[in-house]
Amino acid sequence: MKLFSFLFLILTINVFGADEFSCGTIECDEFQVNISNNADLQNGLSTYMNYCYGCHSLQYSRYKRVAEDLDIPIDLYVENLIYDGSKPGELMKISLSKDDAINWLGAYPPDLTLEARVRKPEWIYTYLKSYYSDSSRPYGVNNLVYKNVSMPHVLEDLQASLPEENYNKVISDLTNFLVYVSDPSARERQQMGVYVLLFLFLFTSFAFLLYREYKKELK
Amino acid sequence: MVQPISPPNPGRRKFLSLVTGLMASIGAIFLAIPFLSAFKPSARAEAAGAPVQVDISSLVPGQMKVVEWRGKPIFVVKMTENTVKLLSSNLNRLADPDGSNSVQPVYVENQIRSRKEGVAVITGVCTHLGCSPKYYPETGSVAFDSDWQGGFFCPCHGSKFDMVGRVYAGVPAPTNMDVPPHYFPKDNILVIGLDGVS
Amino acid sequence: MLQWINSRFPITDLVERHLSKYPAPTNLNFWYLFGFLLIIVLVMQILTGLWLMMNYTNTAEEAFSSVEYIMRDVEYGWLLRYLHAAGASAFFVLIYLHMFRGMMYGSYQKPRELIWLGGWVTYVLLCAEGFTGYVLPWGQMSFWAAQVIISLLGSIPLVGEDLATWVRGDYLISGITLSRLFAFHVVLLPIMLIAVVFFHILALHEIGSNNPDGIDIKKHVDDDGVPLDSKPFYPYDITHDVYALGVFLIFFCAIVFFFPGGGGYILETVNFEPANPLSTPEHIVPSWYYTPYYAMLRAVDFSLFGLTAKFLGFVTMAAGIAIFAALPWLDRSPVKSIRYKGIYSKIFLGGFVISFFVLGYLGLVPPTEIKNILAKVFTIIYFSYFLLMPIYTRLEKCKPVPERVPA
Repeated sequence: MKLFSFLFLILTINVFGADEFSCGTIECDEFQVNISNNADLQNGLSTYMNYCYGCHSLQYSRYKRVAEDLDIPIDLYVENLIYDGSKPGELMKISLSKDDAINWLGAYPPDLTLEARVRKPEWIYTYLKSYYSDSSRPYGVNNLVYKNVSMPHVLEDLQASLPEENYNKVISDLTNFLVYVSDPSARERQQMGVYVLLFLFLFTSFAFLLYREYKKELK
Repeated sequence: MVQPISPPNPGRRKFLSLVTGLMASIGAIFLAIPFLSAFKPSARAEAAGAPVQVDISSLVPGQMKVVEWRGKPIFVVKMTENTVKLLSSNLNRLADPDGSNSVQPVYVENQIRSRKEGVAVITGVCTHLGCSPKYYPETGSVAFDSDWQGGFFCPCHGSKFDMVGRVYAGVPAPTNMDVPPHYFPKDNILVIGLDGVS
Repeated sequence: MLQWINSRFPITDLVERHLSKYPAPTNLNFWYLFGFLLIIVLVMQILTGLWLMMNYTNTAEEAFSSVEYIMRDVEYGWLLRYLHAAGASAFFVLIYLHMFRGMMYGSYQKPRELIWLGGWVTYVLLCAEGFTGYVLPWGQMSFWAAQVIISLLGSIPLVGEDLATWVRGDYLISGITLSRLFAFHVVLLPIMLIAVVFFHILALHEIGSNNPDGIDIKKHVDDDGVPLDSKPFYPYDITHDVYALGVFLIFFCAIVFFFPGGGGYILETVNFEPANPLSTPEHIVPSWYYTPYYAMLRAVDFSLFGLTAKFLGFVTMAAGIAIFAALPWLDRSPVKSIRYKGIYSKIFLGGFVISFFVLGYLGLVPPTEIKNILAKVFTIIYFSYFLLMPIYTRLEKCKPVPERVPA
């Protein structure tokens, strides 16, 4: 038993001791994912389309699917959120070409469809909050979460003009939208899961009683 | 070997076997749903098969435009006044002038088999063996018909259709060429793939 | 009708012999449920795999986006993929339990050596299935795991580099490699897997199941030659199996529907980034089911007799998997089950289990100096279970095995 506790101690010390900060140079802010509120997700979508979509595609997602999932009337959606005349069934690709991007921005802005699966939602949330001025960088800003980030602070105007609470709501909705779009079937899946598990509990109960019926004979 | 004995309460055992078996069957049926549903056209296929919008203002009378919709050629013909007139004079040479056997929307069930007079919209696939018929807008004597009234001739097996895709009698093709769902939201704008309201 | 068939193909006899009337020992416990569950998972993997294959594209350019196509555009594609991914992990959980059962109760011992070997080949094939399947989504993990594993071949003296290039079919991991791994994953390996599993079950049914007491129930038979301490598969075992299936599905579906990524253990987060040959992720780990061997690979950091550390590590790792096959000939105990074996067997088996878990953990985390020492120690414990077995099984004092299954 002593040996076990000793081992456990060594293992745990090393895991937690060696850990870096959870969000770059700082600890992540607390962030509670909530993809059940369509109004919030719509809000996040509109921030995304207005501020991010110029450079960051959502190339695995289709306009129509997002409209249907977030309960946005398709006409309204086509009118306000499809800028390049794409059909609603098309993938959300952007017109920025790779060469142009590298010439103008120095790097190709990554597609963000799966960003919330690659990075934690709290990472995205904290990242959007953690820009600070740094005159040594090309855009005059740097980020505590993503050191020497090459993206300018596109939400700077919002952050400057809105009270902190409202700005936090904007980026929280945006983060939730990214979580939604990274796994659009999640809501349907969880609803279905409840029924599947209820069914299985019932089935297993009967299967258990039947098993016990025969098991009794073996004793 | 241990063998099942008759239990003190056989009804209970029977009931439990029945319910467990029934639930397993129900579960199996539900399990089949995702597998069968996955065979339906995917969102990509749906997007590729989405309605197509065509501007027909540039077509001159007698000209045809081929538009692709769901992988099939759709023939869009702006007919001359003459060929429109001929549509009602050739009925005795047609196999099925009312189109009772053909695939077509209700709004073309009329004398001229068109939603808009003078514009023919037809799926350009011969109903015989699926070749794409050729467009012969001229009238009079042609190589395959001494009194041709304009229309389509299939090079594969010689089936003949008139300007709006109605099949002639005595050719291999059994029915008229299909008419896809279509409508005209504006005068010179044609949408193929939706019934809409003209 | 049935008679017509039976006189040409004895279907009734076959079903009775292998299913309904198969005489299973009366003292089987829950450890004997995993074989049945493994068959269910195999069938599920084949079906979901078939459906995924219909929508997957096996080229470097399209593979990643075709997986997202399945996840988003194909109706219920997300379910098929999550089932397949979680199914892979379930497969390994179950096969490890199944193998441990065999080790605990001495099921590999005479006359079941070939059954054990069949199972071992199944396990090796499954490892290959897991690896090839892991590469297909063509994310960052897929690419770099393939890179690391295939580079291991390069450590073989003299022919290594040429062999690695030959296996890749290219000078780097590329679409060519992806294509051939895909062919292995969906055709070659499944066919072999089905064939070997078929053999495994057939061989088992000819010899008969072992049991937790390791008693040879065939010593006492009734007038029909059927063991006295047996019961027919139907209804006794089938009801037990169906009950177990329900319990298994509750756990499995809870994961599929509520934690499909399994916290990064079923679907690695880094693998949601497309493969990029120019940038290695900060921390690459293999799937959890290989990590004990991965830890062994890393534990060997010294060269010996002119052989490189890389090659020795590779050999150690391969030996860790291969050595299971030798078990029937390493065990010199007069008894089968751990219940009647002596104290040494219990200590060494316990040591093996602990080392398997500790190595599994060590393979997941970044190496440090102290962890490297631990990995060495536990690699030695792991192998000592096998290599010292001929000695300790002969030295220890065993309890007498009863003639009949105790009531």
